[in-house]
Amino acid sequence: MRINRLKLQFFRNHEETEVQFAPHLNLFTGPNGAGKTNLIDAIHYLCMTRSFVASSDQYVAHHDEKYFMIDGDFEGEIRSSFKVSCSYSRGEGKKIFVNDSPLDRLSDLIGMIPVVVLSPEDRKLTSEGPAERRSFLDSMISQISPKYLRDLIKFRKIRKQRNKLLQEYQGPLSMLKSYLEPWDVQLAQTGTAIIFKRAQVLEKFKEYLAIQYQSITGLNLEPTLRYESICDKYDSHEQIHEEYVNQIESNFEKEAEREQTIIGPHRDEVVFYLGDIELRNYGSQGQHRLFSMALKMAQLFYYSDELDDLPIMLLDDVFGNLDQQKIDVITEALTKHSGQTFITSASERPFDQEMFKGSEQNVWFTVENGTVSSKF
Amino acid sequence: MQITSEALERAIEELAKLPGTGRKSAQRIAIHLLKQTDEHVSKLADALIQLKKSVTRCSVCGTITDTDPCSICSNHKRMNGVVCVVEEFQDVYIIEKTNEFRGRYHVLGGTISPLENIGPDDIRIKELLDRIADEDESIEEVILALNPDAEGEATSYYINKLLKNYEIEITRIAYGIPMGTELEFIDEATLSRAFASRTSF
Ligand SMILES: [Zn+2]
Repeated sequence: MRINRLKLQFFRNHEETEVQFAPHLNLFTGPNGAGKTNLIDAIHYLCMTRSFVASSDQYVAHHDEKYFMIDGDFEGEIRSSFKVSCSYSRGEGKKIFVNDSPLDRLSDLIGMIPVVVLSPEDRKLTSEGPAERRSFLDSMISQISPKYLRDLIKFRKIRKQRNKLLQEYQGPLSMLKSYLEPWDVQLAQTGTAIIFKRAQVLEKFKEYLAIQYQSITGLNLEPTLRYESICDKYDSHEQIHEEYVNQIESNFEKEAEREQTIIGPHRDEVVFYLGDIELRNYGSQGQHRLFSMALKMAQLFYYSDELDDLPIMLLDDVFGNLDQQKIDVITEALTKHSGQTFITSASERPFDQEMFKGSEQNVWFTVENGTVSSKF
Repeated sequence: MQITSEALERAIEELAKLPGTGRKSAQRIAIHLLKQTDEHVSKLADALIQLKKSVTRCSVCGTITDTDPCSICSNHKRMNGVVCVVEEFQDVYIIEKTNEFRGRYHVLGGTISPLENIGPDDIRIKELLDRIADEDESIEEVILALNPDAEGEATSYYINKLLKNYEIEITRIAYGIPMGTELEFIDEATLSRAFASRTSF
């Protein structure tokens, strides 16, 4: 999958910007605050319906305006060419259009244009709480399985309904139980589907992770992961479902007392290890950075094997803190990945001009004050 | 904008409250109406007043009707022992248009949803049980035709459980592939549902 053209209106510091991209490598250099990240964040909007930097759409509109607009022309293996647009205004909120017709649900876009982002924020993946890893996992799986995404959305709804019952119900516990039952059945069904899928994906993903970590670090430390959910084994759907139903049953009083749903994939954890040590508690800063980088590179190659279309890769400002050797390893990996790649960097030093001069595959852009021009 | 007419402003305000109508469209409609003849506008106003005045709920099935019971409930040919349970009266219209279903309906008027403070007692479940217990209705089969979202499923589950105490057949409509749609355009969720509720050839 690739994006051939991007047009921005009032998107952060881009009042009006239109760029034609190269099919392979697209490099953006320029001073900090010039608008490099905003460009690839706009691409991220067209893939995932949201920013990978800002927490809310309203911060993304140009400071003088109350709306923004993003347009992109895409080209893929299955859909040969199509257009995706995203508009936002304070009054009407966010809308996504595919070939000018609006999507009923924003989530319908996800998976159409697979994307992987590498950014300095990634260190949170391994160093912060389990929610970071769940959201990484959810975003990774949602892009390859629309059913998984629907299950997630449905699960969230069921859990909200159930929590409301647990919080507000005043009568006898036996009655509460009968009111909960229609939700419990669905909670177990949908929750099981989520857990089973997570376990399946992680089983494959960990092989990609090991390969990427070793190729980035050159070390023989084996990275592993352990998926922690409601049971010990995740071999079959039936087995998980049975365990889930049992646990809803045995935790009924606890849930009634705490007034919330405590059994389910919303409490899952993925624990990362380097050799024997648990990364989150004992890893060094450098180990965290390289591990999270390996996670994203693993996602890239996992997608490449799993999907018909190669994902679009976005690397935001990740070369700044790396030594030349690691930069070379990653650049080499990206050259192997024949899909489209976008890189932002404040420094020009790590990049070889010869790769870009006279090339139809690669373009080097310089960005200044929201204006983009090609360097050669 | 300088307000030149209080009456126009009031009309715009009321129109803007309608679903799918922003202030701009409300303005357009109000100005359009101003340009029409008195007769035309009176007809519209009258239709709106009659809509609220003469439309009531059928005391049997709960759908909207001008006469009580509704034309479906008072049609003896449709007393075939089958009742189709739906969420809202719009669903009756949708199913009626197919001309396939020849039984009667039961409109719940919503689905169970704790988040909106709607419990089983707030929708017409008790009325359904009364109908099943009523020998004159002689109900033999209940078809559940609720939406496949979390609330619809919860409601179907709840009703199904209650009805197990009665000697009637309980069925639900199948989830499938829309006619005339090619498989490659079906989303995965619909397809897996269609597989789960496949029928023999
Ligand atoms: Zn009726």
